[in-house]
Amino acid sequence: MKFIFPDIRHDQSGFQALVRLENEASSYFLDDVEIDMNATTWFDADMCAAFGAILYRLSDNLNTIRLTNICSSVEKILSKNGFLSHYGREKIPDRWGTTIPYRRFDVKDDRYFADYIENELIHRAEMPAMSHGLLKKFRESIFEIFSNAVLHSNSELGIFSCGQFFPNRQRLDFSVADLGVGMRQNIQDNTGLILSAEDAIHWSTEGRNTTKRGPIPGGLGLKLLREFIDLNGGCIQIVSDAGYWRRENKKTITAPLNYPFPGTVVTVEINTADTNSYKLVSEPSAANIF
Amino acid sequence: MMQKELTISIFEVVGSPLCVASSDGQKIYDRLAAALKEGQSTILSFHNVSTLTSAFLNAAIGQLYDKFSEEQIRALLKVKDMEPDDLALLKRVVETAKQYFRDPQKFNQAVREELGDDGNGE
Repeated sequence: MKFIFPDIRHDQSGFQALVRLENEASSYFLDDVEIDMNATTWFDADMCAAFGAILYRLSDNLNTIRLTNICSSVEKILSKNGFLSHYGREKIPDRWGTTIPYRRFDVKDDRYFADYIENELIHRAEMPAMSHGLLKKFRESIFEIFSNAVLHSNSELGIFSCGQFFPNRQRLDFSVADLGVGMRQNIQDNTGLILSAEDAIHWSTEGRNTTKRGPIPGGLGLKLLREFIDLNGGCIQIVSDAGYWRRENKKTITAPLNYPFPGTVVTVEINTADTNSYKLVSEPSAANIF
Repeated sequence: MMQKELTISIFEVVGSPLCVASSDGQKIYDRLAAALKEGQSTILSFHNVSTLTSAFLNAAIGQLYDKFSEEQIRALLKVKDMEPDDLALLKRVVETAKQYFRDPQKFNQAVREELGDDGNGE
């Protein structure tokens, strides 16, 4: 089977293209799947997380995946971040240090993920000078995204991440994708609420909503992330099932996708030039916490 | 003889300044719950902890409200060495946990009503 692959941008059109591939190829078993990237002149590197998740599912169905006719600029970026190493190419050095490598984790790899974030993001010399407050919030947000995938997805095939830093634009994109049940199904299973895919994402990022049951409460992770991005001036996009949700400049837009993503993708764009101090207006007292 | 105050070092239990995983929070919970069950005054030290998530704090502290009353927790548990924004996060985790355990059915009802305001479930 051969797929002609378009440009993959870090936006709704990029996700639309990825779910189209997933939809067309999801029933393949023991097939040869060629993804012809001749028409792919642009590939936002953090989208490797969602792309890699889809390809991993295809290879789990014992299909052989070949990425062909990759133009040199796309091949360069996808080789630098290690993505193409999964598909028969060699990793090439990242001289400017602007890639955050593509990785796959199992849900029990919290520690390994934490090391990856510290080594590949936080302690890299190439990282922009961010304020202490911003760096702390940024780091917490990344871990909240990963924890959210671990706690809610029940993903057996793993969690995928990748990022890219744009020094001139003072932006850092980072994506985490899982191959779990997705928000719509998770909410239905745990609360009985039947929602559209995009309403399910909206629900998960609002107020006190949580699908957590049992002795450990939950429901804060995505709200904290949303609050941080509102202050930071960045952007969050969430794709889950056939829903697309984007928040930027404190405004939310949602849209249905033509086909479902087989899990959830959370992608953040961080404004690295943010000078907010992230100091609290009123500081809580340790004596008055419980 | 029972100690006057037991100090639990999160850094020592987790073994890392990155306190982000729910499974690591569970290790803290196990010790806290055992101490509180004995009526032991306990100080939870966040010394050398650099990063916290709500997932970690929900597991470590939030779930205490399932087994212990607010009065018991307030009387026996103290935290120290926390940065102000971490304290603020813990406060939110605690408030969420109180609501969650006060009446889970009511919590779910509130969640449904909230959705009714701005959601349009099919």
